[in-house]
Formats: sequence, structure tokens, C-alpha cells
Amino acid sequence: MRRPHTEFVNLNVFACLQIINSNHMLILIAWRNLWRHRTRSLVIIASVALGIWAGAFIVSLYYGMGNERVRIAIEQEVSHLQVHHPGFQDDHDVAFHFNRDSLAAVLRKVPGLRAFSQRLTAMGMLANAAGSNGVQINGIDPAAESDTRGLHGFVVAGAYFDAGRRHQILVGKKLADKMKLAPGAKVVLTFQDREQHITSGAFRIAGIYETANAPLDERNVYVRRDELGDLLGLPEQATEAAVLLHDDAQVPEAFAFLRSKLPELLVEDWQSVSPETALVMSSLDLSSFIIIGIILLALAFGIINTMLMAVLERTHEIGMLMAVGMTKGRLFGMVVLETAFLTLVGSPIGIALALLVNAWLSKTGIDLTAVAENVMKGFGYGAVIYPDLPEEKVWQILVIVCLTALLASVFPAWKALRMKPAEAIRR
Amino acid sequence: MKKTVIDIHNVSKVYNPDTIPVHAVNNVHLHFEQGEFTALVGPSGSGKTTLLNIIGGLDAPTQGSVIINGTDITHLSANALIRFRLHHIGFVFQSYNLVPVLTARENVEFIMLLQGVSKAGRERRVRELMAAVGLSDKMDVRPAQLSGGQQQRVAVARALASKPQFILADEPTANLDSHSAANLLDMMAQLNRDEGMTFIFSTHDARVIERAGRVITLVDGSIASDTARVETGV
Repeated sequence: MRRPHTEFVNLNVFACLQIINSNHMLILIAWRNLWRHRTRSLVIIASVALGIWAGAFIVSLYYGMGNERVRIAIEQEVSHLQVHHPGFQDDHDVAFHFNRDSLAAVLRKVPGLRAFSQRLTAMGMLANAAGSNGVQINGIDPAAESDTRGLHGFVVAGAYFDAGRRHQILVGKKLADKMKLAPGAKVVLTFQDREQHITSGAFRIAGIYETANAPLDERNVYVRRDELGDLLGLPEQATEAAVLLHDDAQVPEAFAFLRSKLPELLVEDWQSVSPETALVMSSLDLSSFIIIGIILLALAFGIINTMLMAVLERTHEIGMLMAVGMTKGRLFGMVVLETAFLTLVGSPIGIALALLVNAWLSKTGIDLTAVAENVMKGFGYGAVIYPDLPEEKVWQILVIVCLTALLASVFPAWKALRMKPAEAIRR
Repeated sequence: MKKTVIDIHNVSKVYNPDTIPVHAVNNVHLHFEQGEFTALVGPSGSGKTTLLNIIGGLDAPTQGSVIINGTDITHLSANALIRFRLHHIGFVFQSYNLVPVLTARENVEFIMLLQGVSKAGRERRVRELMAAVGLSDKMDVRPAQLSGGQQQRVAVARALASKPQFILADEPTANLDSHSAANLLDMMAQLNRDEGMTFIFSTHDARVIERAGRVITLVDGSIASDTARVETGV
């Protein structure tokens, strides 16, 4: 005995077959009409394909830039998780510190841990004979900082910290250019110690670093944590711990672990520490779809123009079809079908093009070094973008393009419906 | 007594009634019986095509009624009128008006598809009709590959495909050479004789007028004469 839903499906299939059978000539006419003006149809098919490719390319570019921004934010700036004293968030004062050794014991047990770094940070002034600049002074363990952020890899002049030399400082390239600093030059850092006394220390520039985020480079300088701790009067303390994990997906587990082990401290993930980066990610869909919308608007007008031309030049024929018995519904369907066929032919080409280009560019990247390196760095992006096209976005774009094409066919189809058979035949 | 197929009552058609009125058809009363072979004649602008369009429901009269088999088609909605034409009226146009992307066979079959005729029924009728118009060997040829006379024969086959009660033909021989025109008229006369099909032509072709059983002359939209002949070309 067949189950009721099987009968329902069979009935629907039968109904569909009947509809297809009764309209198969309509489908045939619509399909053959496409090739009456081969060049014109090919232009529209190419437009649909390019529309899909352009939409997909824009989305992949945005996602590539977004991923790049997140990667830079995590690997070069804030790491996956950070730990601070609860008061540190409102006032970056050295008074909000914690003991390094006790925290390190916990950090070593973080699930998925790749590296961690404990920093002592202070707000101060960097000065030389040429002038002064407000900076955030980061006291770091050079080895831990290299493991966590790869800081040593960003040195573009001079060298990373030399174990044999004391009172060395790394400054960002943008700050170095601004204050005309070079490796070996002497600068003075001035800041408040834990007792709120103004204190100063002289440092010699070991190296100049340059990351993908020029604004951050301008305001961050790095010295050894122990030397800054001595000047601040906090030799065993830190104000910030950054935790890098092996995988982004491990953040929730590591976060929960730290929250449970460190109830008295503030644990934050990268999205909380760097809300602007999280905002970039959340606005990706909106901004990419606005641009896709603009592309599709142009596509829609192209389709309207073409289909309108196709309808108007067949006025006589449409009049004849109505005269011999083609109902308005079928006439409407014929015009919409022609557009649907154009879209159905163009869409696979567009998708294939999008996937191929994305596969290629996601490996080679788009190198903007020559044209927009400074601009990209100014916004915290790398100069090489690796487009990323999520699969669900391809389908979304496809659906949007098809809907746009079908909507664009409504006006020409409506124009066809408005014709009066006798007048149309006379033309 | 023969059955009245079409009853035209006091039909008038005025174009541009609000600007410069053109009276194309004036107070026409006519009726047509089953199996008539009628020619509507008159000079250009006399209202032949307009009257034919009104009879076929392609144009609406400004006043009056057109009753076909008891149905007043002037009161039907646009879609109902299209369906009515599909089932009751066959059209043959001056410029053939075949669907250029369909073959001769598909052009004839198309009408039956719109009517929902079964595949077997369609195939049988297409074979019969194409044989009747003498184009069995041209079934899979598109209109562009057919001569004018052959296209008009396909148009006649298409008009007959829906098994209509009558066929309206607007200047069907106007674009044909003498030989093709004679062949076409022979064929339509045979259909009229064998199947009792009613034909109404608008024409000023003497060859058609000669063979018509009834000749209605229109002048300035009014009936100037309505002559029935004993001897017809049928």
C-alpha cells in the first residue's frame, strides 16, 4: 500500500508533467525566439554571466579583505584573547596590574594554546632633539612577543632586541619617519610610575618595525618588560596578557576556561578587544550587497531594454498569437520564459567564471602594493588581498540575479499584454 | 434550413470618437449561415477589414452586437474572447502570419496545443490538414523556407486545426501570384464543399469574388449590396 505522501508527490509530478506538456510549445517558442537575434541574446547572456561574476568578485574581495583584517588583528595586534585587570578597560593606568607568575601558571593550561605574552603597558611621551610624540609604551618579553605576534618579523631597519644590550627600543616606521628616527638613535621615554611620579628613561633604537596597521605603528613602542617594570616600580607585574590559539574555533572553549579560572580578572575575546574589526566583519554582507545591488540594477535595465525591444519588434506576431488564441497568461509566460532562458544560460557561465577566478586569486592574491599600499595600511589591511568566496554567497548571488532578471522581464511582458490584437496585427 | 452561425446586429465602429471621428463601419446588419462562402468587397477604406476584425472579436464595435452561436462576443472579457476565438474562429491573414520560429507542422499543432488536444489527436489532425493543403512533404520546414503560397496554405491548415465554425480570411490572396492564389482558392473551396466550412473573405481580388457564393459590398462602412449567387465556385 502506498503512503499518502507518495500519492501526493505522484499527483504533483503528474500535474507538473501536464503543465509542461500543455506548454511545451510555449517553451519551444520562447527558446527559439532567443536565437532570432543571436548577438543580442549573447550580449544579455554575457551581461548575466558578468553580473554574477562581478557580484561574486565583489563579495569575495570584501570577504578576503575582512578575513585579512581579522587575521592581522588576531596575529599582529590583539591575539585571540586578552586578560586585564577589570579597571584597566576604563583607565589604562599601571595601577591596574596583576602578578605575572600566577597568571602564567593558568595561561599555560589554556586549551588550544599556541603562545602567550604578558605585557606591561604605560602611556607616555617619546622625545628626542627633534620633538616629542605621545606613545603607548609596551614592556614585553621579546621571545614571547615574537611567538605571540611575530614582532621580530616586522623589523624593517636595525634589528630586534639584542640579548647583550640593555635599554633598547623598537619604534614603528610611521613614528620613525615622523620624528626622523633611525636605528642607534637615542630617545627618552617619560611616563608616570606606580606612585604617580613622573619618571624618564633613555633608550636606544634597536630597530624600526612596520606592520600592516600604520596607525598602530605610530603610537606603539616596545621595550623590555623588565626594564619598564623597574622604572615603573612593578618588576613582577603585568597589565595585559595576550593569548594566541592554534585555531579561531577554539576561542569559545579557551575563553570559558579563562573566565572560570580568573574570576577576578577581565577576560575578553578579540571581538571585544577590537570591536572595529568585529564591525568590519558584521558589515561585510551589507556593504557587499549594496554594491551587488548597483550591479544588478544596471543588469536589470539591460534586460528591460533588450526584452522591450524584443517585444516591440514582434508586435505584429504577438497580435497574431492573441488573435489565434494565445491567452494573456501564456503570452506573459512566453516573455518571462525568454528572460528566464537568458538567465539560465548566463548563470552557469557566471558561476563557473566566479569560481575559477576565485580559485586562482585566492592562491595568488591581488597585490595592491604598487597602487595602494599606504592606503591599505592606513586602514589596517595588508597590501595583498586574498579573495574568499563562501559557497552560500554564490547561491545567494545566483538567486538574486535570477530574481532580478525575472522582475526585469515583468515590464516588457506587461507591455505585450497591453497590445490589442487588431492594432498589433495592423503594424 | 441552414443554421445561422453569425448574427451581426446594428454594428458601428468609430475610430477617434473624441478627436476626429472616423466612421469605419455604420449600422451594419448581417447574418451568415453554415457553409457560406462569402466575399466582403469594397474599395480601400470601405471598412472590410474592420468589419472582419469585429466579427472575429479582434476589435470591439462602438455599438451593436455580434452573436456567434448564441454568444454575444461583444460582452466577453479579453481572455474569454481569446478562448472563444481559439475554439470557434479560424483566421487567415494577408501576410500569412505564421510563427517564424516554428516549423509548418508546429505552426498547425500549436493551436491544438493551446486547446489541450492529446498528442495522438494532434499528430493525426496535423497529418490530415497538411495533406489537405498539399504540403505533407513540407511539414518540418520553417516558414522562411516556404513560398508565399505555401505559407498561406499552412496558415489555412492552422486556421482549420482548431475545427472552428468559420474562417475569417483577410485579403488571403493579396500577396500571392495567380497560380498560388488559384491553388489556395481551390483548396478552400474544396474544404467548404467537403466539410461545410464557412468562409468569410475580405477581398478586392476578382478571383475570389468570382468564386464566392455571396458577395457583400461595403462602401464607406455601410452595406451597399448583398448578393447571393446560385452558381458559386464551390
